Amino acid sequence: MKKDIKILVVDDFSTMRRIIKNLLRDLGFNNVIEADDGKTALPILQQGGVQFLVTDWNMPGMTGIDLVRAVRADPKLAGMPILMVTAEAKREQIIAAAQAGVNGYVIKPFTAAVLKEKIDKIFQRIGS
Amino acid sequence: MTEADLHRGLDGFESLLQEKASELVTVLEGGDLNSALTIINDLQQVKHLAFYNEVGYLTRGLHEAIKSFSDDVKVQGETNDEQDDSIQGMADASERLGYVIELTEKTSHETMDRVDKSLALVDKMDEQSGRFADLLSMVGQLEAEFEGLRGGYDRTCQLKKESEQTVKDLRAELTEILVAQSYQDITGQLIRRVITLVTQVESSLVQLMDMAAKVERISGLSVEKPASNTNQKAKKDPIEAEGPQLAGKNDPDVACDQDDVDDLLSSLGF
Repeated sequence: MKKDIKILVVDDFSTMRRIIKNLLRDLGFNNVIEADDGKTALPILQQGGVQFLVTDWNMPGMTGIDLVRAVRADPKLAGMPILMVTAEAKREQIIAAAQAGVNGYVIKPFTAAVLKEKIDKIFQRIGS
Repeated sequence: MTEADLHRGLDGFESLLQEKASELVTVLEGGDLNSALTIINDLQQVKHLAFYNEVGYLTRGLHEAIKSFSDDVKVQGETNDEQDDSIQGMADASERLGYVIELTEKTSHETMDRVDKSLALVDKMDEQSGRFADLLSMVGQLEAEFEGLRGGYDRTCQLKKESEQTVKDLRAELTEILVAQSYQDITGQLIRRVITLVTQVESSLVQLMDMAAKVERISGLSVEKPASNTNQKAKKDPIEAEGPQLAGKNDPDVACDQDDVDDLLSSLGF
C-alpha cells in the first residue's frame, strides 16, 4: 500500500476532519486534504490527484450521498475508493449508500480501531 | 331586535333563533312578508356578529398565548421593551444553541491541541529510549569488568522494555482522547436539528400572529402590526440525512453500532 497517496476528508465539522486526519496520519498517510461539504469537495476531486475519499453524509450545501453519486457518475472519478463516515444509521440509508457505491461505511461515534480496520480493508481490496 | 339581542354571542344565538322562529311563523301566517324578511335579516346579522366576536376572542387568546410562550423561551433578565419582539426570544434560543456548537468546537480543538503536544512528547520519549539503548550497551560491556554491576544490564533492559510498553499504551490512550472529541460532531448535529425545529416553530408562530392580526383588524377588536412570514415545508425523503440517532430509541430500522452496519452490508453482499 502506497502511503503517499492523496486523501480528501469531507466533513462539515472541523473537529471530525481533524480526528480523521490524525488517525490517517497514525496509519502513515500524511498527504491529507480537507473540504467542508460536497460542493467544495467536488471541484477538488475533479482537479485530479485525489486517490481516496472519506466523506460524511449530513452536510449543508451538498450531502455526502450526493457527492458519492456525483463521483460514481463521473467517468474520471468513478473508480475512486470511498469510505463513508457518518452518524446516519438507518437501514435504508446504509443500503442506499452501498447502492450508491461506497466501499466502506463507518458510523459515528467510532473507535480508532474500527476506522483503521475499514481503511485497511479498502486498501486490501484495491491491492488485490 | 334589541341591542341586547345583538350581543348574545354564539351561546345565546340558539335560544334567540328559537324565539325568532316562532315569531317568524306567526308573521308569515299573518301574511306580513316584510316583517318576516326583517326577522331573517336580523338573525343573519346577529349570527355574523357573534361569529366575528368569537373569532376575535380566539385570535386575541392565541396572540396572548404566543406572547407568553415567547416570554417563557426568553431567558430571564433580558430586556423586554417591545411587545412585538416576543418572537425574538425564540431567535435567541437558536442563537444560544448555535453558540453551544461554536463553544464545543473551540474546546474540542483545544483538547486536540493538547493531545497533539502530548503525542509530540511521546515521540520524544521514543527517541530518548533509543539513546538509552546506546548507554545500555556500554553498561553491558562494563558488566564483565566490574563485579558490582553484575545483573545490572539485564535488569535495566527489562526496565527499558517496560517503559517502552508504557509509552505505547500512553500513545493509544491519547488517540482515544482524540477520537472521543467526535462527541462535538454528534452533539452539534443534534443541536442543529433542534435549531431547525425552533426556527420552523418560530416562523409558524409568525404566520399565526399575522393571521391573528388580520382577523383582529376585520373584527375590529384591535389592530396589530402584521409580521412577515417565511415558511416552507420540505418533502420527506426516506434516506434524508437525519443526523445522529438517539440512544435507546430502539428503532428496528436503525443500526445500533458498527457491527449492525457490517452485518447489514454483508447480508446484502457488499
